[in-house]
Parts: sequence; C-alpha cells; structure tokens
Amino acid sequence: MLINLRNIFKWVQQGGRRVFLLKDINLEVKEGDFISIMGPSGSGKSTLLNIIGMLDGFDEGEYNFLNEPVHQLKEKKRASLFKQYIGFVFQAYHLIDELTVYENLEMPLLYKKYSGSERKALVADMLDRFNIVGKKDLFPTQLSGGQQQLVGIARALIGKPKLILADEPTGNLNSKQGEEIMDLFRQLNEEGVTIIQVTHSKKNAAYGKKIIHLLDGRMEKI
Amino acid sequence: MYKNYLKIAWRNLTRNRGYSAINIGGLALGMAVVIMIGLWVLDEFTFNTYHKNHDKIAQIYNRTKNLDTSEIESFPSTIYTMGSVIKDNYSDYFTHAIRATWVGNYVLTNDGENYTQTGQFIESEALEMLSFEMIKGAYSSLDEVNAVVLSETASVAIFGGEDPIGKSIKINNEMDAVVNGVYKDLPKNNSFANVKFFANWKLTEANEPQRFERVKTVWDDWSFQFYVQLRPEIDFETANAALKDLYFQYGPAESLEGFERRGLHPFAYPMDKWHLYSQFDAQGEPTEGRITFVWLFIAIGLFVLVLACINFMNLSTARSEKRSKEVGIRKTVGSNKQQLVFQFLSESILISGIALLFALTLVLLTIPWFNELAGKSMEIPWANPFYWASIFGATLLTGLLAGSYPALYLSSFSPIKVLKGTFKAGAYSAVPRKVLVVFQFAVSIMLAVGTVIVFNQIEFTKDRPIGYDRSNLISIQMNNPEYNGKYNLLRDDLINTGVVEDMTQSSSPLMGVYSNGGGGISWEGKDPEMTPDFGILRVTHDYGNTVGWQFLEGRDFSRDFATDSSAVIINEAAAKYMGLENPVGSFFYFGNGDRAEIIGLTKNMVMQSPYQPVKQAFFYIDYDRVDYINIKIKPEAIASDAIAQIEEVFAQVVPSAKFDYGFVDEAFGQKFESEERLGNLAGVFTLLAILISCLGLFGLASYVAEQRTKEIGVRKVLGASVLNLWQMLSKDFISLVIISCLIAIPIVYYFMSQWLQNYEYRMSISWWTFIWAVCGALLITLLTVSFQAIKAAIANPVKSLRTE
Repeated sequence: MLINLRNIFKWVQQGGRRVFLLKDINLEVKEGDFISIMGPSGSGKSTLLNIIGMLDGFDEGEYNFLNEPVHQLKEKKRASLFKQYIGFVFQAYHLIDELTVYENLEMPLLYKKYSGSERKALVADMLDRFNIVGKKDLFPTQLSGGQQQLVGIARALIGKPKLILADEPTGNLNSKQGEEIMDLFRQLNEEGVTIIQVTHSKKNAAYGKKIIHLLDGRMEKI
Repeated sequence: MYKNYLKIAWRNLTRNRGYSAINIGGLALGMAVVIMIGLWVLDEFTFNTYHKNHDKIAQIYNRTKNLDTSEIESFPSTIYTMGSVIKDNYSDYFTHAIRATWVGNYVLTNDGENYTQTGQFIESEALEMLSFEMIKGAYSSLDEVNAVVLSETASVAIFGGEDPIGKSIKINNEMDAVVNGVYKDLPKNNSFANVKFFANWKLTEANEPQRFERVKTVWDDWSFQFYVQLRPEIDFETANAALKDLYFQYGPAESLEGFERRGLHPFAYPMDKWHLYSQFDAQGEPTEGRITFVWLFIAIGLFVLVLACINFMNLSTARSEKRSKEVGIRKTVGSNKQQLVFQFLSESILISGIALLFALTLVLLTIPWFNELAGKSMEIPWANPFYWASIFGATLLTGLLAGSYPALYLSSFSPIKVLKGTFKAGAYSAVPRKVLVVFQFAVSIMLAVGTVIVFNQIEFTKDRPIGYDRSNLISIQMNNPEYNGKYNLLRDDLINTGVVEDMTQSSSPLMGVYSNGGGGISWEGKDPEMTPDFGILRVTHDYGNTVGWQFLEGRDFSRDFATDSSAVIINEAAAKYMGLENPVGSFFYFGNGDRAEIIGLTKNMVMQSPYQPVKQAFFYIDYDRVDYINIKIKPEAIASDAIAQIEEVFAQVVPSAKFDYGFVDEAFGQKFESEERLGNLAGVFTLLAILISCLGLFGLASYVAEQRTKEIGVRKVLGASVLNLWQMLSKDFISLVIISCLIAIPIVYYFMSQWLQNYEYRMSISWWTFIWAVCGALLITLLTVSFQAIKAAIANPVKSLRTE
C-alpha cells in the first residue's frame, strides 16, 4: 500500500466555530494507481492533495505512507520521505524565472546529494525524453505555457518519485496542450508512476483509473 | 549547489538594477565609512608605537594638590635636582633617565643663512631610547657636547642635497654646534613628530653656566622635562611606588613641609598614554582625553554600518513577495529551511563582497581628502595580512548580519500559501521594517544634532569676548642676542614706517601664559592659609596700547611715572581671586619686603584655553625676559604691504634673526583646530549616515508605491487628486520620522549636555537646535518619499489597473 488515509479531518477556527475543510476522508492508494480528484471550488480538493503531499497538516486521523505513520513522524523524516518519493506539478507551472530550463530541472537534484556528473546525466536524459534539448538554455518566460508545464513535469520526475501530485496541471493550457500533457501522464502511469491529480474537467478526470468526488470536504463516492 | 545559489543571486541583482544599486550602494557607503574610521582609529592607537620600547618609555610628571580646590593636578615640568636624584639612585628601575628642555623654535645658521626649526636639547641616550632610524650616523651621534642630529626634512631644508655630517651650524646665533647625524622623519602620529632637530643637552648647560649652577642646587625651578625607560622587569606600578617618596627622601629640609602639604610626588606617565589619555582627572590619573573621541568614532562607525545593514534588511524583506514564489518552489522540490537560510545568507555575503569592492575603491579615491580633513597621513596597509583578514572577516560578518533577518524571514514562508498566491504580507509584517526605519532615523538625527551642537559650541567659544583686540596683531619670537638693547630702536623704526600702530614685548605670546606662580605674594585681607597662584606676565610699557587693553579701573603703565617699574596691573579674575572690590591703589607684598601698587584693573584676556575660565593674572614692567614681540599694524594698512615693510626693518635692526611672524588671529583659530577637525570628521560621517538612511527610505518608498499601484489606480478613478495620493503615501513615513525624533531628542540632549560639561565656558543647548533638526528630518523625508509618491500618483490609472 502506498498511501492509506483513515478518518482524516481538517478544520479551521472561525469566530469560535470549527469550519471543516475535510471531513472523515478514507482513501487507499496502491502503487501504479492513477486517481483523479474532482469537485467544485472550495470542496477541499487542493487541501487533500497538499495533505497527501505532506505540505499541509491535518487535525485528526491517520496517514500512512509506505507504512510509515506520517502523522507521527518528525519534521525531518517527513521531509526526507517527501523528497525521496513525491513530485509536484502545479497549475501555474511554478518554474523559477531567474533560472534556465536546464537549471530548473537540475534544482531538485541539488537538494538530494547527487554528484555533478550524475546531475548532468539525469538532466540530459530528461531533456531528451521530453524533446526540449534545444530549449535548455532558455528562461521560462521565453517558453509557451505547454512547454513550461512540460518542464514542470520533467522537474517533478527527475528525482524518480513513486508518486506525482498534480494540481490542475492543464488549468492554464489550451485544450490541445492539455491533451498532450494528459497523454504524458497516462504514459508515465503505464511506466509505473503513481499519479494523483486534481481537476475540474471531466474529460481529464477520465484519464484516471479511479475518480474521487469531493463536496464540502466529504468524499462522495469512489 | 553554491554555483546555483550564486547564479540566482547574481541574476536577481542584475534584473533589479534599482534595488541592487540602493542595496550595494548603501552597504558600500557604510563599509567605506567603517574602513575610514578603522584607519583613523588604527592611526590613533598606533600613536608612538614607532618607538620600539614605547611600552616602557615614560615622561616624569609631578602631582600636587591644588590647595584651593583640593583637586590633584598633574603637570609635566620637573626640576633639575629631581633628575639628578633619579639618575643617581633609581638605576634599578630605569635603563635610561634623560633630561630635556621644552620643545622650542630655534634659529639655525649655516653659512650665513638662517633657518627656523623646532628643536629640543636632550641627553644623548635619547636616540637609543627612542630607537630613531638613523640615516647618517649612529645612536652615539649625539654624544659630543656640541653635537646636533637633524631630521631628514631639516637636513634637506638647511643643506639641500649636501652631506651635512661634520658641518658646523650656529643655534640662535650663540651656540656653535656640529651636525653629527640625520634621522628619518618620524611618522605624523608621534609625540616627537614636530621636533626637527635634537641638540646635546650639555650644549644648553654650557651656554648658560650661571643659570645652571643655580638650577643644580635649588628645588623650585620647574623648567625641564625628564624622560625615563623602565627596566624590562619593572612595571609602572613598581616604578611609581618607588618614586612616590622621592621629594621627602632627597629634598632639602626647609622645603619638606611645603612638599608634604601639597602631597608633591613624581610619577612615570607612560608613553602609550601620552596621546589618548592626556587629561588628568581630579585624582591626577590620566583617564580622559582623546580616547573619548576614539570611542565616539568607533561608535559612529558601527552605527553607520548598522544603518547600512538595516537598509539591506528592509529592502530584502520588503521585496519578499517577489522572492516568495522561489521559496515555495524550492520547498516543494525538496529544499529544507536550513538550505534556504544558507542560500539567502550566501546571497547577502555575495552582495557585501561586491559592496566591499566599491567601498575600497571609494576609500582609495577619497583618502587624500580624508587625510587632509583629519590632519593625518593614513594609507591602506596593503601588505598587512592582519588588516585584510579583519576586512574580510568584517565583510563576512556584515553579510551575515544584514542577511540574517531576511534569510530567516524568507525561508519561513509556507509553500502552499505562496504558491497558491494567497500569500499576502500581513498587516504586521511591516512592523519590524518600521522599527528598523525608526531606529535608522533616530540614529541619524542623534548624529546630526550632536554634530551641530559641537559646531555651535566651537562658534560660541570663538565669539567669546577676549578682552583685547586681536585683529592686525602679529607676534614674533625673539631670543637672538644680537637684538639685546635694541627695543627702542626697533620700535621707533617700525612706527616710522607709518604702517605700524605700536609695538610691545611680553614674556608670553598672546596665546599662552608661560609663567605661573606668586606663592610668596600677599595682600591686605589675604587668607594666610592660601598659597596664591597667578599667571605672571612681564610686559613693556606699550603693551596696553598694542593689544588694546580694556580698563575697568585705574590706568595703563606709563613712562611718565617712574614708580610704574614696580607697579602691577591685574585682571578681573585676579581681583575676584584676591577678594578685592576696589583693587586699584592696594598693594602686592612680596616675600622679600618689596611691594607693588596695583595701578590698573583690566578685563580678562583670553590667553590660554578659550574653553576654560580666564586665570587670575598680573602684569608688570620688565624689559629683560620678554621674548615675544607683538606688533599692531594700522587697520588702514594693507597687511601684505605692512609685513614687507616690517620685515625690512627687522633685517636692518637684527640682521641675523629670521623674520618668522604669525598673526594672533590665526593662532587663536588654531586653538580650535583639533575640535574643528573632529567636528568636521563627525560632520562628514553624519552626512553619510543620513544619506544611507535616505537611500533606504527611497527604496522602501518605491516598494510601497509599487505595492499600492492598484489601490492608487482605483482611488484615482474614484476622483483622488495627486495631492491626496501624495499625502496618503507620505503620511506613514512622516509619522515614523516623528517617532524617531521623539526617541532621539532626549537621548542626544542627555549625551550632549554631558559632553558640554567638559568645557567650563560653554553654551546652553538651545531648543531651536532640536526644532531645526525635526524640520530638517521631515523635509528630507518628504523629499525622499515624494519622488516615488508623485511618480505613482501621476501614473495613468488605466495602465496600473490593467496590470492586474
């Protein structure tokens, strides 16, 4: 089991009242899954994704990642789990504008103690694989949205994560670019990468093997 | 990793040129100030370290109780007999014990040409004790009775390129001497730097045999200086303990009671303290002096650097929203907080490194000007590894200091918030920034007000009524034997030129009182316990007319009254000191039964420190020991013309003397030189501090204007005028500056009042100074902020709203 969420609650205090962001979420994700999370704005999709990605905490429940109890782990251990197994893809790409494509791709490796030559090899592989060798010295602002998201995904993949978390990865793209990205996700999933994506679009959700609907912080059906 | 950090740091710098310029510029200015102050402080602390044994050399001072005030006074003059005692009986403590005269101006004659040089008669061991670097000759060069050693400058001035060794010269036209050595000029930061030649002590003894015969036996002729070098194993405490009872052990029986009453004792005043600790406290210990300024400047330097660091912090955190995205991304790809802190710190160290380059360039370019301002000859010690180590260490430290807060602040952002775009610097995130701005301005205002008060005090003292007319007065030192008996001749010739009002002679120049005493004097109503102490001035009949004496009572000396040869004129302070309400007509009674009538009472003449009250003094007629010629030029005469004519007269009357004159006005000005220098230095640093603070404010204002672009656009569309917007944007900063003023003023008032206590003649601090300071600070703030505010306010709202 890759991920096991049991009875996850998350709330904020507002005027002395608890406002629930997530209510009693139970979720199991196996390696090789491709899950789409759907739901209207404010239903808690992103919150759930962030909890899975260990970027955000929760108030009640249990979260086991590869049988490690995340809710009990120390910050340091959690960070290292995260670093080793998880890659993020964002709607707004979130590349660093001051770094070139090559340097953006290299950045995660800098935090993982790869040697210089290893980094070179890995970045070259990625550039090759996504067909962006010619763009390696360009800055993000010099690329189209689709190309930027390609770099974003390449960056998420470069550390060889088991799990990719994508928050509306096609939200800023036109439909053709979006389709290409979704095809890429499917291909990655076939290669064995577990993917969890948040999306508004039914069409994109359909790429997933499993769809979760969230409404007001509650899972509707699996 | 580092490469990546540096790369992104560099790209951030080059992409935001404006911010970078303000950041680096401010930091560079701050560092330049610190480097300059560092050089200045180093120069002060290395004063006299030229001498190898500077830590063991001392001058013998004496301490005595002032029986009026009960304060202990320390003074450098010694008596010949005390020197003899030390030489004969204290060799266990001192390796060298050396007599010396006071430093004075002498006329050296070579081949008929006269040169005025500053010199000192000193015993020959001095060369070794002071470890002079001899260019020609050796430490033994002063051993011959008639030997003279010249500094390199004096040698070049007198002999040009010629080898001076073995040449004979005449000193003051009365002593025959032979040049036996040349030593390298001493560095400027040395107590002997102004002495240009040393002559053997024995020469002065041989020149005045009768005087020295007497001096060698008496215990009250305080005319000499005395230097010692302690043995390596002896410390100052031991030496001083041994010296303590010198007078009681060796003094003559009849003086012991007086010594006892005044607690008279000699002590060794260490060379290392001469310069920085030149003022003695009420216990007679050297605890004060220039060292106060050294600490003050160190404080100013640190403050200026902190101001520059604050700029850096404020601008970095203000721009945090721009960097926050990067922080979020780095965190989501696996960076931990430590790594981010490290990244931002290396960035700030890079920036301070760049700033260092600019600062060094700035120092290199301005050091000649700075030297002139400070009256020093400092240079960057390029070859000194310790210096570079401290420079780089300080740069690293600055980078860490300036970068610490931004690094911690930036690295603490939550990635979810910043990446979702919900991150907004909250209402309180600007609070530390505001505190820092308040601190910056408070320091700047304190420095500015402090400097203004220093200058006001100097001006106030300069305007002090001095009791005589110093304009058009020139003064010439004259101890040339050729002049003896020619007083009337010279005076008549000078007056006959038509440009001279009058001429007189006196025992002290107008800028000093060289003899003090009068312990044996009494008057009617004198407290029998009191041992009087007066400034004593010997003058000729024409003194009053020449200097423009202002009489309160009585009359000036006059040739019409033969009795005036035994009359005195006293100053106001003396009348008060003696407790006489109508002093004119009463008498001074001397120990030997003579008496002198007080014929006049004059206003106090400021002759010594203009900061101190005028000392009680009396004047009497004497034509013998009056070495200073004072000449009043007619106000309508052209000065340069008059000087030329006076010089011609001198050349006729005393051909062998050099006409070396000085304006009394200028001499008066020189009394303020050291204060003015320090004031100027402090002024420059204050200006830089204000500039740095303004740079930071400018940066912050531009950030605020940028951040509120949308708000400004909306307000404008809704009908706000440029004036409204300008008010809105400036208001925040104005209130910060007002808070700074409220903090700064009481503190600076306290410190400056303390400082003014050092001066007996001082102004009171005027509230206007503070009002001006507040207005100035507000004006500067408005000017700085308005540029950005107006720029933002007149921008077209269509454009600013479209950016959303």
